[in-house]
Amino acid sequence: MARLTVDIRMRLRAFRLEVSLAVEDEILVLFGPSGAGKTTLLNAVAGLAEPDEGEIRLGETLFFRRRPGVPAVNVPARRRRVGYVFQHYALFPHMTVLENVLYPLWRRPDAHRRAMDLLIMMQIDHLADRYPHEISGGQQQRVAVARALAVDPAILLLDEPFSALDLAVRERLQRDVKRLQEELGVPVIYVTHRLEDAFAVGHRLAIIRDGRIEQVGAIEDVFRRPATRAAAEILGLRNLFHASVVDISPDGVVLDWDGFVLEAAPQPVEGPAVTAYIRPEDIKVLYPDRPLTRAVRHNCVEGLIVESRHRSGFRELHVRLPNGHEVEVRFPHYTYTPLDLEEGRSVRLSLRKDAVVILSTCPEGAQVPSGVG
Amino acid sequence: MSWDALWLSLRVTSLATLIMVAVGLPVAFLLARRPFRGRTVVEVGIMVPLVLPPSVTGYYLLRLLGREGPVAAWLRADILFTWQAAVVAAAVVGLPLFVQAARAAIAGVDPALENAARTLGSSEVEVFLRVTLPLARRGLLAGLLLGATRAFGEFGATLMVAGNIPGRTQTLPLAVYDAVLGGQYALANRLVVLMTVLALGSLWAVRRLEEA
Repeated sequence: MARLTVDIRMRLRAFRLEVSLAVEDEILVLFGPSGAGKTTLLNAVAGLAEPDEGEIRLGETLFFRRRPGVPAVNVPARRRRVGYVFQHYALFPHMTVLENVLYPLWRRPDAHRRAMDLLIMMQIDHLADRYPHEISGGQQQRVAVARALAVDPAILLLDEPFSALDLAVRERLQRDVKRLQEELGVPVIYVTHRLEDAFAVGHRLAIIRDGRIEQVGAIEDVFRRPATRAAAEILGLRNLFHASVVDISPDGVVLDWDGFVLEAAPQPVEGPAVTAYIRPEDIKVLYPDRPLTRAVRHNCVEGLIVESRHRSGFRELHVRLPNGHEVEVRFPHYTYTPLDLEEGRSVRLSLRKDAVVILSTCPEGAQVPSGVG
Repeated sequence: MSWDALWLSLRVTSLATLIMVAVGLPVAFLLARRPFRGRTVVEVGIMVPLVLPPSVTGYYLLRLLGREGPVAAWLRADILFTWQAAVVAAAVVGLPLFVQAARAAIAGVDPALENAARTLGSSEVEVFLRVTLPLARRGLLAGLLLGATRAFGEFGATLMVAGNIPGRTQTLPLAVYDAVLGGQYALANRLVVLMTVLALGSLWAVRRLEEA
């Protein structure tokens, strides 16, 4: 199986793209805010953007190389066999669905049959004679995938393919992409800025910011344990805080967050000062008249509600703790209905012990110092 | 009716239009898609006949095409005061209108579509012929029509380089001039009406092309 390796440096307008990445027979999700260099990275792989230096290689095939002392190589985009599904699909508006898929095949004798096969596979054969503006966004997306597959791609690149689609369509297409990758057995890079998409399709996750990969790893791992504060911020994690480590024992880690002493589950800890977070859903509101259950008896604290908002699907509170910091708390609308949770009221909270996550500050693969709980 | 003049005008306009496309299309493409050093110089050089007095444009052409000029040396022929000189004059004044429109039309094609074509195995020439050209079609046609209409109506520079020889270099606009000088107002009226109708028809077609 061919493995895609990218090791490039490239000066862009706002920052430098400096990326080193390997993609196997898998879906690698490239996740980051817009303007982080995701699309530029895809373009470099496809041969549509030229790095200043470095190397891009697919298995034994050298796509690009520019290094002092060795002959430069830059295979043009048309010879790379990269299937590229562009952000807004980039379907040719002057061609029908069938003509779009035929585009790369026109010199092949079996072009028509092959194109029809692809349309059938993507379940859009009934749209063959329609023009792109006559079909829905989800259908356009399928045409774009069918067309990208027509080149018999050795790599597949998907740039925010589902950003404009509604939820139901997105879920179906996410399944399609997963199945497709399994069938093709090629490296797939999937760019998105939606975490839901990343979870739905990806095997591994690479977080990119300002042209640099902040962290790469299995999706669950990256999400559970962001390597850096930047990675956590990009993942949209709330309630990040700095704390000093008070005690490390087999029972867990004790932290001091500016006077609020917190217990956390056993986990790797590096240094006396750490960054940690707790998800808004993992902060529980306590009923004053009920006994504490096992799950919430740690990290209890009384705070003042400074903001209370009704969002779609959940309620959001901002609570000021005695240590002066604010935390965000989220819960479904139907819970805690007997409680008066309006602004200005005080509320008792429990920060679930097993949900306090201490961020590892060391890069992937580096040694975690002893003291692991 | 000056049938000779009409026939000559049509011939001159067709050839001038071919030259406009041959020269203007590559230039328009470069200006729209490939930023290069000295693009401003090229742009200004092509646009300047729009603002120069036609006699000044004509004078430059006279020097370029004349016996001692570089074009005559290159062609080993003196085309001054022949209908071919009228073709050159017509092309030079029509070119800016075509290039301006063609450049806008090409720039209006989404570069992502051209990139998609590249990843689908197309060479640069193929990308242009199969994607850029068909998508810029309407704008290119509108520019062509504008340029051709301007070429058809060319007067001042033509007079300078091709003269006004009835039956040989006298195009319709020059025939109008002659008719007025000779007091043949009935003829002048007919020619003026004909040229006005053609010009209005052309502008109407350009509007239609640009609207859709």
